[in-house]
Amino acid sequence: MITLEEVCKDYLLGKGSLVTAVRGVSLDISPKEFVVIVGRSGSGKTTLLNLSAGLTRPTSGNVMLDGTNLWNLSDKQQSYLRSQKIGFIFQFPSLLPTLTVHENVILPTVFGTKLSTAQASDQAKQLLQNVGLEEKLAAYPRQLSAGQQQRVVIARALMNQPEVILADEPTSNLDEKTELEIMDLFRDLHLSMGITIVLVTHTRQLISYGTRAVEMAEGRIVNGNK
Amino acid sequence: MNIFQLAFKNISGNSFRSGVVSLCALLVAAFALTTTLLIRGAENSLRLAIDRLGADIVVVPAGSEAKIESALLMGVPARFWMPQDNVNKIAVIPGIEAVSPQLYLATLTGADCCSVSDMFMIAYDPQTDFTIQPWLNQKLGDGLRLGEVVGGSYIFATEGVQNIKVYGYLVTLKANLEPTGTGLDQSMFFTFNTAYDIAQKSAVQAEEALVIPPDSISAVLVKAAPSSDLYAISAQIMRELPEVTPILSSNMFQSYRQQMTGLLKTILVIMGITLGLSVVLIGLVFSMAANERRKELGVIRALGATRQFVFQSLLMEASLLAFLGGATGIGLAVLSVYLFRKLLIVSLGFPFLLPSPAVLLLQIGVGLLLALVSVNLAALFPAIKISRQDPAVAMRE
Repeated sequence: MITLEEVCKDYLLGKGSLVTAVRGVSLDISPKEFVVIVGRSGSGKTTLLNLSAGLTRPTSGNVMLDGTNLWNLSDKQQSYLRSQKIGFIFQFPSLLPTLTVHENVILPTVFGTKLSTAQASDQAKQLLQNVGLEEKLAAYPRQLSAGQQQRVVIARALMNQPEVILADEPTSNLDEKTELEIMDLFRDLHLSMGITIVLVTHTRQLISYGTRAVEMAEGRIVNGNK
Repeated sequence: MNIFQLAFKNISGNSFRSGVVSLCALLVAAFALTTTLLIRGAENSLRLAIDRLGADIVVVPAGSEAKIESALLMGVPARFWMPQDNVNKIAVIPGIEAVSPQLYLATLTGADCCSVSDMFMIAYDPQTDFTIQPWLNQKLGDGLRLGEVVGGSYIFATEGVQNIKVYGYLVTLKANLEPTGTGLDQSMFFTFNTAYDIAQKSAVQAEEALVIPPDSISAVLVKAAPSSDLYAISAQIMRELPEVTPILSSNMFQSYRQQMTGLLKTILVIMGITLGLSVVLIGLVFSMAANERRKELGVIRALGATRQFVFQSLLMEASLLAFLGGATGIGLAVLSVYLFRKLLIVSLGFPFLLPSPAVLLLQIGVGLLLALVSVNLAALFPAIKISRQDPAVAMRE
């Protein structure tokens, strides 16, 4: 499903210094896998996730999604592919503060959907019900707890019925109880809907939720590659 | 939800930023429209005053040029005299088709015998007049009789039905002329016979008599024959009558035009500075906003928004704010100019006439366009910069 071939990523920092975040990584993620990528802070996990979705251009190597090289596509084609096939969950609060919970969940349909407005609205309500927030439709993100916000983000990620969910440290800002609730939600999504999940975390305890663990250090995969 | 709703939600959720940008758009639009209204209003007014004059050349006693301009434009009463036989001397000059004398009079200051203080009054000769008589014939089907007057647009009866007291003499207001925005709107027109009748009876009826020197007139209006050389006629008038000054209607109000040009230049400089500062300020606000929203825009890109969508949504926000601010500014400008037009005339010392609805709509359109262009211009660079940014980098910062 997602294939990275000898991918490298360098970042140019201020004063002309170059930092290599990912060094020659090759990774193949098959459909319906639940891959947990672990590693310390600065090991290149987030960059690897961003590379997988075409959110940043690799310095060298290829990134393929369902056999298509993402960087051979136009921005429009790439964006459309992203909106239809990938759901994102970020580490930081990523809901738009000026939109209600319901509008935030509908947001991905603005960039491409096969649903009508009414269908999209109904689906958003259903997803919010699935994550236990059906009563917060009209609320604004600031009125929600961190755990509730992350549930809304999960609902948003599922809005366009993606084939894969990329989650970047989705529980890092949550307390232990909420972390477990969110991880159970991921497990349910994987088991009941068969969605491919790639989850990045620095917490080794979360490895047990996945079907495969990949460990990164200093921009390389050090364990768990096929 | 679409790009418009998303932009609208965003600007309504950021009241301070939206307020600053809208305020700048308001200032640009309001200033541009006020300036245009005033300048065009003054030009329109001058043109109408010349049209109302209806003559190609106005001949006045030498040294009275400024007085007649002030009288016609601002309604400042003027009194100057020249011999009546000048009319005949001018009439025989080659190239002249018609001549008609006028008397310029004024009511008394703060006297009970005059309904209006210091009102400029023009008496015309119905036998020769070619300026007001045609209008009267068209409007009333007849000329004015003894004791009848027509007034400028601001003249209204004060002493019972259609009557106005002038030197204790009750004149009847027969009609009002269309507004010109000049002193002519506060002036009154009647025939020579009425003028002489008022003068004769004023000795008894008025606190102070109206004096019209015998065999005297104030000005001679000249209508040239088609395709004749107005400059040659003027030169000939000056040669024949050295004690008078012929003023070409096209050269009328030159001093006002020069003052207006000076004012226009100053206003244009101030407008340029306002526009420049607004563009810089809006650009700064948008840059700050784009930086603040970097993560948010990165998220939108990750969710499937194209670079073009991000760019368009930022410009959509700019356009909405420009429209809101611009429309408010235009509304305020039109309202202010309408409400304070008399105060503006007095403080600027210029005549002024509100434009026709069609011209006003055009000016409103230009003001709004200026607000839209300036705000979008200011937002363009931040929008290009942020839309081109790598989403991963945007989210990292």
